[in-house]
Amino acid sequence: MTTREKIDARGAFCPGPLMELIAKLKLVQVGDEIEVLSTDKGSANDIPEWVKKVHHEMVGVTHQQDGVWSIVVRKAK
Amino acid sequence: MASNTLYILLCSGEHEKVQMAAMIASVAAVSERPVEVFVSMNALLAFAKNASSDTRYHGAAFSQLLKEKKAPDPMTLFSQGRELGDLKLWACSMALDVKGWELDRLEDGLFEGALGLTKFLSDAESGQFITL
Repeated sequence: MTTREKIDARGAFCPGPLMELIAKLKLVQVGDEIEVLSTDKGSANDIPEWVKKVHHEMVGVTHQQDGVWSIVVRKAK
Repeated sequence: MASNTLYILLCSGEHEKVQMAAMIASVAAVSERPVEVFVSMNALLAFAKNASSDTRYHGAAFSQLLKEKKAPDPMTLFSQGRELGDLKLWACSMALDVKGWELDRLEDGLFEGALGLTKFLSDAESGQFITL
């Protein structure tokens, strides 16, 4: 069964949210999802770029009403 | 396909340059690109063991902003890059000699060792080179 873990990186600047995501990816199983909450717009753009480059999977990016970005990534390998 | 190694020559101890070097090195390393950083001159002083974050980096207005906004600390980024990717830091043997320092004067767990410029330049012929 896949799980979804959450990283609260609100207030952290680039590349902090990305680094937190990568550290967490090493701990979860293939198929699991990680949601990164970030107030850093750059990370909302950069994390999908990184995911594409290293061949994981983007589930989605959402800009919430409170200004927080929700970036959901699935571990693919 | 494996990427060319990225070689970074970091000479400046200015906050923004050390910050940029750490950002480039760590992001490239976790993006499956090998990175080697050669730390020399004033930059070496920024890696002094147990320096306080207030005095470790030189800089003006933007340095103050980086501190106030709590941007990721370069030492932490270098450490994360080593842990999560293929990132190696080398201390310039000439700069160590001039300063009269041994490797144990630098932050623990960041450096592979001391290296001469000739070896670094020779290795860097096969990759991309950035100077900060």
